[in-house]
Amino acid sequence: MILPGLASLPFGIGFGVAAAQKGLSAFETTLMSFTVMAGTSQMVALDIWAQPLPLMALAVSVFVANLRYFVMGAALQPHLPHLPWWLQPPVWYVTVDQNWAVNIAEYRRGHGDLGKFLGGGFVMACIWSGSTLAGHLAAGGLLSDPATARRLGLDFVGVAVFVVVATILFRGKRDVAPWTVAIAAALAAKWGIGGNWYIVVGGLAGGLFGALRDLRKTDVRQS
Amino acid sequence: MSANPENLVAIFVMALAAMAAKGGGFIAMRWLGRHRFVNALLDHAPGAVLVSAAIVPLVQAGGAFIVGAAVAALLTSKVGGFTPGLFGGVGAVALARWAGLT
Repeated sequence: MILPGLASLPFGIGFGVAAAQKGLSAFETTLMSFTVMAGTSQMVALDIWAQPLPLMALAVSVFVANLRYFVMGAALQPHLPHLPWWLQPPVWYVTVDQNWAVNIAEYRRGHGDLGKFLGGGFVMACIWSGSTLAGHLAAGGLLSDPATARRLGLDFVGVAVFVVVATILFRGKRDVAPWTVAIAAALAAKWGIGGNWYIVVGGLAGGLFGALRDLRKTDVRQS
Repeated sequence: MSANPENLVAIFVMALAAMAAKGGGFIAMRWLGRHRFVNALLDHAPGAVLVSAAIVPLVQAGGAFIVGAAVAALLTSKVGGFTPGLFGGVGAVALARWAGLT
């Protein structure tokens, strides 16, 4: 989980620099990253971060920016049906892009492991928080230049995780049409709505298309 | 270790909002149960979410990212497992940029 965690490094450094410029202390920046642990929504929150702090606007924007995790959580829940109540919040907490992607693939193949999911998420939280702290401390210095990480291809790690896991999950012909619908819907949403909605829209469109098609096929076979 | 109490309250509110979004899907699924349609939807949703998450940055960045994605997918399907595709894809992006692609 260390390499997928490194995906957040350039973004984390960028967030740390931006947080320093907004007047947040190093402690506040690290605390926010560790407790919220959702980079895009933190960046959105920084946009509206001004005294007096608009608490309602912050809550709504963070919730909306994280709606893709709603879909991811719904997909993961059937694999973890009997979680005790005290383990549920930690599981929700570690449901973030790369950790979810790696573990949903493992659960699908029957190799899912809750310890790995929680441990991997904790490692990612540490790397994410550490990178934002580094960005804050080095604001204006060498680390604030994400060009070094970019030269090493580290800005691609996040996308690479999605590509690799999608390749592992690919089941051939039956996935082609739903994935095509998802891709078309995601691109249309990015072009039409903007923001991060494309993941939710594409995921729901592909999922709905595949579900309706499969149910129709089953009904035709039964009749 | 300086912290403004107002900032701490805002950070707490943000953390609650993030947890609400993350936990919402888990809670909603417990209410919805394993209906035939929900099962079929969740059979396809993970793949659809993954390709949706990947396609936009690939189209936006183009060049080196496309090369990296092709290498990652090829290595994963030929070699298997998670690590070769991930390292190969990242290495391919670094090489593509070194060769002049953006």
